[in-house]
Amino acid sequence: MPEKQGWAWGDWLENVAVPILAVITALLVGAVVIWSVGGNPLVAYKGMLDGAFLKKRAFTETLVATTPYIFLGLAVAFGFKCGLFNIGAEGQFYMGELAAVWVAYNFQTWPAYIHLPAAMLAGIIAGAFWSAIAGYLRGAFGAHEVITTIMLNYIAIYLAAFLVGMKGPMRDPRASVPQTRPIANSAILPRLNELPAIMQHPAVRVGWAIVFAVSVYFLLKWWFAKRVTSIRRKQAYSGIIALLVGVALFIGLAHLTALGGPFTDPADRLHLGFFLALLTSVFVWWLLNKTTIGFEVRTVGANPDAAEYAGISIIRNFVIAMGISGALSGLAGAVEVLGLQRMLKSFFSAGYGFDSIAVALLAKNDPFGIIASGFLFGAMRNGADLMELRSGVSKYVIGVVQALVLLFVAAPVIIRWLYRIKERRGEKIVITRGWGK
Amino acid sequence: MPLSLEAKGITKAFPGVLANDHVDFQLEKGKIHALLGENGAGKTTLMNILYGLYRPDEGQIFVDGTSVRLNSPNDAIKLGIGMVHQHFMLVPVMTVAENMMLGTESVKKGTGWWGPLSFLDRRRVEKDTRHLSEKYNLNVDPTIPVHMLPVGVQQRVEILKALYRKADILILDEPTAVLTPQEAEELFVIMRSLRDQGVSIIFITHKLKEVFAVADRITVMRAGKVVGHTTPAEATESLLASMMVGREVLLTVKKGPAHPTETVLDVQDLQVKDERGLLAVRNATFQVRQGEVLGIAGVQGNGQTELVEALTGLRKPEAGHVLMAGNDITNDSPRKILETGVSHIPEDRRKRGLVLSYSIADNMVLCTYYKPPFARGVIMFQEAINAQAKRLVKEFDVRAPSIYTQAGTLSGGNQQKVIVARELSRPYNLLVAAQPTRGLDVGSIEFIHKRVIEQRDAGHAVLLVSAELDEILSLSDRVAVMYKGEIIGVVPIEEATRENIGLLMAGITTEKEVTHA
Repeated sequence: MPEKQGWAWGDWLENVAVPILAVITALLVGAVVIWSVGGNPLVAYKGMLDGAFLKKRAFTETLVATTPYIFLGLAVAFGFKCGLFNIGAEGQFYMGELAAVWVAYNFQTWPAYIHLPAAMLAGIIAGAFWSAIAGYLRGAFGAHEVITTIMLNYIAIYLAAFLVGMKGPMRDPRASVPQTRPIANSAILPRLNELPAIMQHPAVRVGWAIVFAVSVYFLLKWWFAKRVTSIRRKQAYSGIIALLVGVALFIGLAHLTALGGPFTDPADRLHLGFFLALLTSVFVWWLLNKTTIGFEVRTVGANPDAAEYAGISIIRNFVIAMGISGALSGLAGAVEVLGLQRMLKSFFSAGYGFDSIAVALLAKNDPFGIIASGFLFGAMRNGADLMELRSGVSKYVIGVVQALVLLFVAAPVIIRWLYRIKERRGEKIVITRGWGK
Repeated sequence: MPLSLEAKGITKAFPGVLANDHVDFQLEKGKIHALLGENGAGKTTLMNILYGLYRPDEGQIFVDGTSVRLNSPNDAIKLGIGMVHQHFMLVPVMTVAENMMLGTESVKKGTGWWGPLSFLDRRRVEKDTRHLSEKYNLNVDPTIPVHMLPVGVQQRVEILKALYRKADILILDEPTAVLTPQEAEELFVIMRSLRDQGVSIIFITHKLKEVFAVADRITVMRAGKVVGHTTPAEATESLLASMMVGREVLLTVKKGPAHPTETVLDVQDLQVKDERGLLAVRNATFQVRQGEVLGIAGVQGNGQTELVEALTGLRKPEAGHVLMAGNDITNDSPRKILETGVSHIPEDRRKRGLVLSYSIADNMVLCTYYKPPFARGVIMFQEAINAQAKRLVKEFDVRAPSIYTQAGTLSGGNQQKVIVARELSRPYNLLVAAQPTRGLDVGSIEFIHKRVIEQRDAGHAVLLVSAELDEILSLSDRVAVMYKGEIIGVVPIEEATRENIGLLMAGITTEKEVTHA
């Protein structure tokens, strides 16, 4: 028989077609809901489409809303891969925001290349710490993470409300509403429209050119690894191309970032966090599939008994998986604060953490799928306002559509039955089993 | 002879496999019909079709001469077909009678104020059960909770349950797997008595000796097809084996005398508790030396599982010591124990031994994924993993479309070969093989037995734990018998017979037969 790696038509049907059909079905059922509350579904969906993609700046705003969904979707998915249901993304997100904003508005004297990474790292550590508590409680005492993360959510949310609230220690005394001081310029994660000014500094251009050139060099070396046999030629090709890329970027970055569109539109809010989210997806995929850490986490998730047998510590991996999951949530919070809000307002996160459970499930926990499902959720969130304006239907109807998506994804049987998709592995029959060994 | 059940031209395809290919099967009234075949031969699929769990793609089923459609087990039960599964479907805390009435509760109307209500009629069910039990000599007391009964009696409760539902066709799926040789004999007596009273029985098994002990007719299946019908009078063991496998099979392993040298595993006064907190292993003391196979015989559930788990670090012992080549490993982590050179073929391959959703290649490195050449630091090298898998698949004759095939889609024999390949391909001093051939077909058993003896001859120490007496007797150099958590005797292979080991397995010791090693 010919050797074939995992990817096959059946897999495609299972992993891509079913979620897409679930979304379409949810939109159809959602149309009925809109109609039943007196709206015109066509007007409503057209409004959503315009609001999400077609209006001025709508597309980049969708990407802005997509950014936290990708990070948080990855966070939830990482937990799932280890068999853990991290409902605490919301709380970890808050902790990341708190830590990042605290570092970002203090230490005004630090240079940007230290301050920005430090603020992001603070968010990552805070999120990781917060969720690792739940991981440890599960591993060591068997306290279920669903319960503990929900409890930790409350603690985090009210801790944030206290710290930033009316008499809180982190509140900006000069502001009339409860919020923190704005963050220092050295800690901002730039928006695209801030790039042209930043790229004026040759030192910044050199820095970015080097970063890109080095990554291009290693990517090429990896790409050539299977195609070119001679090591010397491999290095030479990669080196030359990387050098060219570096030089081109050094010269071109200033011009490239002055091209127009989101780069020069002062009201555009797309920030580098979105691109960081894309890179993080790649990183999480690599971590899960190409490292021993990912292998252990996945093994514990797929079969804890076999993991134990193979000498993989379940407790350790619960803590690691929850920690990484929380780190991603914390990073989401840091990026949101440093890139978009530039300060922390009391009670503003608005349920990104809970939606992201649906993002992860819709993508079947696939890091690249999460980019797509995060984009879908970002578009729905961003399009909801215009939909409400145009059709008079409350924007919370979008919540109904999202819930329907989740319902159909969680119960693929319905979708299979509706569209007559056969399940792949033959008939599955569950017979209640006896207790005999 | 009238037929009570007939299947004609049954065909059932699953994606990629033709599980049943125009299978014809005839069960005569009042006969015991053995269905023999390797794992994956299609026996289970055929039985699931006859019991209404699967619908055939083609073919017809006749019960007492009339064509029937079976859409669910309920249809089968109504037609008088009963099935006794390998894993008992009983509620342990309920009494025998209560288990009888599950799903077919008989009720009586309340009287007076209680008129609108119905009450369970326990007494009637108990009476009926007692009556049935006496009729077929099953000897079951209907008032005892099921969990207090020994396994052999629980099985009789299952049979009784089928009879209570008026079954006159019984399907027994590998019924002797959980029994001692003596209990199996008792079961055969019951089967004969059922037959003599008109019950027709399909007896699924892969143990050839049992076929000769009890069957009237034999049907052999291979690769989804019926390869032959015969009778015990016409057939021989080796003929049946070669029909099942499709080639000549060695039924007994050739092995020379053992040349044991140094002690590798030294277990001293080990005490282990089970999940319920009861002592499952009591004062186990034994040694395994290089170049010998120590067989641990015993009926399942006498502490073997807990013993193996304690030796491999998967369960913390309460007291006692485990020494590997002189080093105390009693409370070490599973990984540390693996690294002292313990290879472990676990008794439950689907639960412990494999990650079913992983590829064959990934399962082959389940215990060594973090070591060179498969990984350096945290980075894993898929090429090295695949190369190793390709080599082992060939060496251990794993039949699979490719090394990327999910382990869960393999047949039991091939799954076991993946585990055996993995465990024998890394450096080790002690091989712990727990039920290494459970549920496997003759061909795979032959293969794995040969490998075990090879390992012994190469100077490794082997601890074999098995509930199959034939396996113990053909592989071991010394036989230890476990009964209720204790090693109640160690017998050198020269003195071991089916009879004296069987008695020990039932807990009966006579000083003469036991020599303490």
